[in-house]
Amino acid sequence: MRNLLILTFLSIILMSSSCDNNPQVEITSDVKLNFLANYNSELLLLEKEYLYAGDMPIKFSHFNFYVANISLIKQNGNAFDETELVEIDFVDFPHNLNQVDEAEKGQTIQINKVPVGEYDGIKIGFGVPADLNRTKTNDYGPENPLSMASHYWDGWSSYIFSKIEGKADMDFDGAFETNAGEGLTYHMGTDDVYTTRTLFENITLKENETLELQLNLDLKKLFLMPNPDFDQNGDGYLDIENFESVHAEDRLVIAKQLMNNYSEAISLTE
Amino acid sequence: MNKAVLIIAFLVTITSNSCRDNGDQKPTLIPDSKSDYTLIVPEDFPEMEIPPNNPLTKAGVALGKRLFFDPILSADSTMSCSTCHLPSLSFTDNNAFSKGIDGKSGRRSAMSLLNLGYNKNGFFWDGRVATLEDQALVPVEDTIELHNNWDTLIEKIKQHKEYPSLFEKAFGIQSVSSIHKGLVVKAIAQFERTLVSSRDSKFDKVKRGEATFTPDELIGFDMFFDKSPEYKDAECAHCHNVPLFTTNEYFNNGITEAHDLEDFEDKGLGAITGDRFDIGKFRAPTLRNIELTAPYMHDGRFNSLEEVIEHYSSGGKYSETVSPLIRPLNLTKKEKRQLLAFLKTLTDTTFVKNPEFQAAVYN
Repeated sequence: MRNLLILTFLSIILMSSSCDNNPQVEITSDVKLNFLANYNSELLLLEKEYLYAGDMPIKFSHFNFYVANISLIKQNGNAFDETELVEIDFVDFPHNLNQVDEAEKGQTIQINKVPVGEYDGIKIGFGVPADLNRTKTNDYGPENPLSMASHYWDGWSSYIFSKIEGKADMDFDGAFETNAGEGLTYHMGTDDVYTTRTLFENITLKENETLELQLNLDLKKLFLMPNPDFDQNGDGYLDIENFESVHAEDRLVIAKQLMNNYSEAISLTE
Repeated sequence: MNKAVLIIAFLVTITSNSCRDNGDQKPTLIPDSKSDYTLIVPEDFPEMEIPPNNPLTKAGVALGKRLFFDPILSADSTMSCSTCHLPSLSFTDNNAFSKGIDGKSGRRSAMSLLNLGYNKNGFFWDGRVATLEDQALVPVEDTIELHNNWDTLIEKIKQHKEYPSLFEKAFGIQSVSSIHKGLVVKAIAQFERTLVSSRDSKFDKVKRGEATFTPDELIGFDMFFDKSPEYKDAECAHCHNVPLFTTNEYFNNGITEAHDLEDFEDKGLGAITGDRFDIGKFRAPTLRNIELTAPYMHDGRFNSLEEVIEHYSSGGKYSETVSPLIRPLNLTKKEKRQLLAFLKTLTDTTFVKNPEFQAAVYN
């Protein structure tokens, strides 16, 4: 009888041990990605007047874009292991010159439970990757960033990856007149213009410590134009007075350059 | 021995139970027994966000419909919601400014109620309220609309020979004293969420391959959505995108010239947010059934779609907050005609004739 009881207790202990389905608990911490917009290194405020190339007065009313497949990367031999943080999200800078405090905060995306460790950089996609770009707004619930009808263009069967809208005083008369052709609308989309950038930086994610990464975007740099066909002024920037509007299909070359420029325009500070 | 076996069995049972992975213990989902109304929507429409505290029910929708058409809502029992939102006109009234019970005119045109259940960006032309329930609170006490007051109205409803039992069926209230304005607007909002397009406009049929556009409609369609560089971009879909033909965003579309933003007689969204850069902005209305909803714009200034197209083709008027999307399009007469032909394919007569949306005769 006594032996039977001992055997039973041993069995129970063994069974209890076998219950542990997750012997190696991964240690994780949270990551905050803070996007901040600038224009020529100055905080971006909608409706505020800045200077474009040739000292042309310019102001913006919309600046937003999708980010996708954001990953922390770790070198593994000749390749990189990727830890995905964000599949898709939408970054918008809606604050105008009366909302400086809000604009200074930028937009933060928080990712919970990221494995702690040493990383060698961060990879970011700008736009909507091809697999998601095959979907449509009604495939998503109201809270999903891909549900926004304002950012899908049926004519291209594509999401609008990025919108930049504003006005420029092209004739230097002190007024920003859309009815005189001074409106600026750059809407970029289609698979051809999706772009990625990897920012190499030693990034350490520690246990019990939220890592904050600041991603600065300089809007002026999005207008860099190495192609002389679209920069006849020769100042290195898109001639906005001649190309005041871009819809991907008709001006794909410009759309592609503007999206590629996200690589140039973004910088990282930890 | 028997005692020992019992102890063993007990211990084994405890241990076995403790092995269960918590992941298997999913919370029991309690079905919302109140939601018994099936909303029929076109397949390419988005998911409608229905507040969890006001699910659609057959009894709730029926009550909301009855209230919507019932002049009991106005102080003198002469007007209801449907006075300015007529089903045959896609729930508008063909007036630039709707008149209330005292004959006073409002300052804005009645908006179409078509598909407004999908709007999550504020109601009225200026976005002053966030939900359909809150929207329904306003006209009852507005002095230039129904000019009633809620206390009086609720008393009349409580004294009504049928409403108390209809409220009981819709909301499960136990006594007449439980009827309050919150339930009235919930019922009206339920009915309004059912005002969804049918799938029978020509545009929808063409999308499903059941009809074809005429050559003019097809070019107008191309211009509307900027499908190809072959035709001009009429810039329409930026604010009036599929499937609802509105993004429900706020724009200054250049209909008012103002060299100082303070000159705007109706400041629109700016009056609500207090932000000067919102002055002159109004919510983009749906273009579905646009053929039926003249006159156009928040103040009904354009009597015809031809006038609307002429406005956009011209590039609009100057003011500081006008959208950069408003630019001279320089459309030819032919192009204007083609754009108009496409807009008329958005007419959905099945919706406006839907018996579910018509006033019924009550005792």
